[in-house]
Amino acid sequence: MYRGDKDLQTSARKMGTSLLFQLSAYERELDLVFLDHSYAKPWNAHPDASSARPTRTLFVTPRRQAETLSDSESLIDVETVTPTPIPLYDNQKALSVMKECERHVLFARTAADGPPPPDDWEEHINKTGWSVTQNKLFNKVVKALQAERLARLANENASNEPILRRIAVDKCARKVRHALASVNWETKLTQWLHTTMIESLSLSMLAAYLDVLQTLKSKLPTLIDRMLLPSAKTGAPSAEALSLLLKRPWDPAVGVLSQNKPCKLPGSPLILIAPSFPTNPALSTSRRMRFWQSQLSCLGKVIPVHTHVNSGANIGITQCLEHMLGTVRAKVMEVHSHFPHKPIILVGWNAGALIACHVSLMEYLTAVVCLGFPLLTVNGPRGDVDDPLLDMKTPVLFVVGQNALQCTTDGMEEFREKLRADNSLVVVGGADDNLRINSAKMKSEGLTQTMVDRCVQDEIADFLSGVLTRAEGHSHGSGEMRDLDTEKKKRPRRELPFEMERGRPSSPALRVSISPSGSEKSSLITATQLLKTHMQRSGTVLTHKQAQAQFAAFMKQNMLVRKNLPPGTPCIFVPVTSDQIEGLDRDDLRPHGKRRQTPSPTPSKASKRAKIKVTIVSQSESAGGAINPAEVGVSGKPLTVAVGQTVPGAKELSGLLTSPRSGSLSEVSGALSPGSSSFSSGQPCMVSVSSTPAQVQAPATAQAPSASSLLQGLSFSLQEIVTKAPNLPSPATSTGSTQAVCGKSQDPVLSSVGPSGGTLLRTVPVVTAGGVSKTTAIHQLLTNGGLAKLASSLPGLAHITNQTAGMCRTAKTRRPR
Amino acid sequence: MATEDKKPETDTKPPVVPSASASQSKSAPAKPNYSLKFTLAGHTKAVSSVKFSPSGEWLASSSADKLIKIWGAYDGKFEKTISGHKLGISDVAWSSDSNLLVSASDDKTLKIWDVNSGKCLKTLKGHSNYVFCCNFNPQSNLIVSGSFDESVRIWDVKTGKCLKTLPAHSDPVSAVHFNRDGSLIVSSSYDGLCRIWDTASGQCLKTLIGKSSYLSVNLKKSKSHVQHLNSCIQKAKLLWIYFLCLKTYTGHKNEKYCIFANFSVTGGKWIVSGSEDNMVYIWNLQTKEIVQKLQGHTDVVISTACHPTENIIASAALENDKTIKLWKSDC
Repeated sequence: MYRGDKDLQTSARKMGTSLLFQLSAYERELDLVFLDHSYAKPWNAHPDASSARPTRTLFVTPRRQAETLSDSESLIDVETVTPTPIPLYDNQKALSVMKECERHVLFARTAADGPPPPDDWEEHINKTGWSVTQNKLFNKVVKALQAERLARLANENASNEPILRRIAVDKCARKVRHALASVNWETKLTQWLHTTMIESLSLSMLAAYLDVLQTLKSKLPTLIDRMLLPSAKTGAPSAEALSLLLKRPWDPAVGVLSQNKPCKLPGSPLILIAPSFPTNPALSTSRRMRFWQSQLSCLGKVIPVHTHVNSGANIGITQCLEHMLGTVRAKVMEVHSHFPHKPIILVGWNAGALIACHVSLMEYLTAVVCLGFPLLTVNGPRGDVDDPLLDMKTPVLFVVGQNALQCTTDGMEEFREKLRADNSLVVVGGADDNLRINSAKMKSEGLTQTMVDRCVQDEIADFLSGVLTRAEGHSHGSGEMRDLDTEKKKRPRRELPFEMERGRPSSPALRVSISPSGSEKSSLITATQLLKTHMQRSGTVLTHKQAQAQFAAFMKQNMLVRKNLPPGTPCIFVPVTSDQIEGLDRDDLRPHGKRRQTPSPTPSKASKRAKIKVTIVSQSESAGGAINPAEVGVSGKPLTVAVGQTVPGAKELSGLLTSPRSGSLSEVSGALSPGSSSFSSGQPCMVSVSSTPAQVQAPATAQAPSASSLLQGLSFSLQEIVTKAPNLPSPATSTGSTQAVCGKSQDPVLSSVGPSGGTLLRTVPVVTAGGVSKTTAIHQLLTNGGLAKLASSLPGLAHITNQTAGMCRTAKTRRPR
Repeated sequence: MATEDKKPETDTKPPVVPSASASQSKSAPAKPNYSLKFTLAGHTKAVSSVKFSPSGEWLASSSADKLIKIWGAYDGKFEKTISGHKLGISDVAWSSDSNLLVSASDDKTLKIWDVNSGKCLKTLKGHSNYVFCCNFNPQSNLIVSGSFDESVRIWDVKTGKCLKTLPAHSDPVSAVHFNRDGSLIVSSSYDGLCRIWDTASGQCLKTLIGKSSYLSVNLKKSKSHVQHLNSCIQKAKLLWIYFLCLKTYTGHKNEKYCIFANFSVTGGKWIVSGSEDNMVYIWNLQTKEIVQKLQGHTDVVISTACHPTENIIASAALENDKTIKLWKSDC
């Protein structure tokens, strides 16, 4: 017996990815069998078997054999005491959060109130002048508080006291809410009640009352705020402390959950949450949904989909559903077009689960997660021969409650049998349609809803990681996709789309396009990050449409520019004419600065010939003025490029480039190389921007004629640049180096090449190396021209060449688009 | 612990094994040899209840003479008298720390006493008829009381307020008890029912139906489930485990009074009860045989108590006797 238990625990640990996984591990007999007999195939391994995988259960109490009635002759043990089970959460922490309200009960009272009311406070209340409703309300609330007091006393020192207390407080809060609802939350009455309670309740009862307020506040923030208004006005410091205390309800499982976050899923999937009803933007999402969102965001990027249906609009359910379906579908397509390589997972609750399933029939999704699947309909259970859901191909996970009304476990099994898609089922013991467990279950198992939710999330992660790794393995085996996929893995995930100015005359009018409101086809090159921010925020530099248009253009050109810079540093490439540079240094930064952050002053002394202007705008709030925007002017003329930098900009740039993150450098070059390889003249070209000015300068000037010819029609792409200001070494030596590189030779080229290369778009890879050896390697490259050499002499850069090759292929395959 | 629905099922088997092995290893004594050590006289009317303090140091007795008396548990020495009730006292109970006493009186109140000072700390008013029985919960922050008004009330020790009234029975409540961890309350009544309540919510979880009125209930705090002993007016004591009637102990005489029954676990495992034939009966818990009868009282032995650590039994008798007797045994 005992050995078995221990085995079970160790195996659970082996299987378990987290502590919470173990919580429910006791019922995982299937896994146990699998561990002991790992050679055995699961029952559904047979090709003829359905694609349904064995059901998993969470907190389902196993059915035990009926008791054999003990006869009167049997011995009775009257001594042994069953050891109390160890709670699944940190009891110490739970107890301390549990007693929070008791500890801070005095916050509710201002000092002026005098001595606290005695224990027999009820007899001291002056009820004269109270109306009938007031009396009723007061009595109801006091009765509820008294019941809570009884439960509190009865549960004292119980092994799972925090959970029992939580249940009791929730129950009491429910009663108080009923009482307040019976007077329609009339502001006058609720405020009167609050004042009376604060004044008259004894300390112990007041603590219970605060617990109730704390609980209700999370559910009905506006109503409770209104109720607390008078007291908030009077006592300043205590009211503040009180509002802090009431900020969020305590949870016995607080420590466990914060310590055991779900792990990131492979392939950095995007998790879309389908709405299960039209949402009203005015209403905040429930606390539980927020918790779910935050936990899921540990698995991957979460993108909630909202459907806003005007309440005034008189539309039927069918229309509404169609609208929701359309919204989700559109979102999936949009996200897919933005992140073509990322797996997309659709998660939905109840009706949202159905929507998710239906969307999976229309759009390509990696997986669908159905939380609380409404299997039963008015016309009987789903899964009839003509049910479109049976045609699903997407792997799907169903999580249903054992006691759900809209779904039975047996019915699910039958449905799953008919389902062609790979599917799994998780049954949550004692849970309803929304996967909420009842209080009896909480009591007997020592659980809280958050713990259950967390376990369900573990199950989801388990399922998804299986699907994702399988998906990856699959694409590895299948020919053409292979390169792309390996590519994807080697490279950092985010891609920097960039677009070049095409055939646009260099004119002062271009300045218009620099401004965020510029209506011309955008001449701004933004980073993915920027696109992303656009999706979420409005009012940034680009409008959504502009960003999309850019992205489309970018796709057409097959220019994939990679970067591995931390998020939050978009960089904007602003083409300007050379004569405008100086003015732009200040003028153009301003609009961006206003929107994002104040750029530090940019002296333009050194930028005599600066022509490429790169504005690096940091989004990190903390950065403040610590990051200097580097500016490189890009000439508006398509075929002319001059590189110039303002002093701080150069500093910044070189600092970034020389920073120890060699990865970022290689990325830059790798990302840019496709452009060079598809270059019509066939000459690979690299311009090195180095931290050691002398070395770069020399080759650059030496190569000036060829380099400049290669630079025709060049749009200079730089990456989003590392925001981390403190990390940035800023060697002053590099100042002006880049300027020197091209400055001298550019101008003549501009005019000469201009007409001929008008349609060509070129990318010049920017390779920067921090070390001297690398610089010389680049030197070599520049003089001899050839990536192979670079690769051989610089093992660290070897994979860049590979990447380049990969990129070229990408470019080819993508070209038809 | 509200695991009541599950636990009894899982635990039914294990109890048999350890106790069997224990009885084998210790070669459980077949019979105790209780003999009279002290006779405590002092009450001027019938003694209604005797209780040992959980610390084992004291014996408290309540009587129809409105007094509570405290005695030394080992030497029977009279310690003090606590007075305050206006009418006779039916029951008395100790708090877990042995510092507080609660008494149930015919004056419809309960009183909480500080044992050291002998002062009344709180008077619990609310019952509308004689209060017949009372008990502390293990945390000693709640008191449960049963009354002739047919209700069971739960009281807050600290404030002395009634937190809950359970409309428990349709006849006077004869006994109330908490289980080991205080999560359950068991009440028995003349109406022939024995009910189990959830302390925290006041919900009735189970009703046990016997052949006749239950007059006493005593919970032996073992496992996490309830084992309680009911003494029944029909000359039988029933031992229940939760809702399964396990054993019936017969042989004594009990037709009229609510006679306490007790578990004795300090030596052998016995069931101890008074009887209306002026004797104390001791049964073997497992075999249900009568193992000893203690003679000495001159009236109905209405109350018995077993010492928490020593093999001591206290017994108290009614009007004609008015004494308390302490019995000791080697096993």
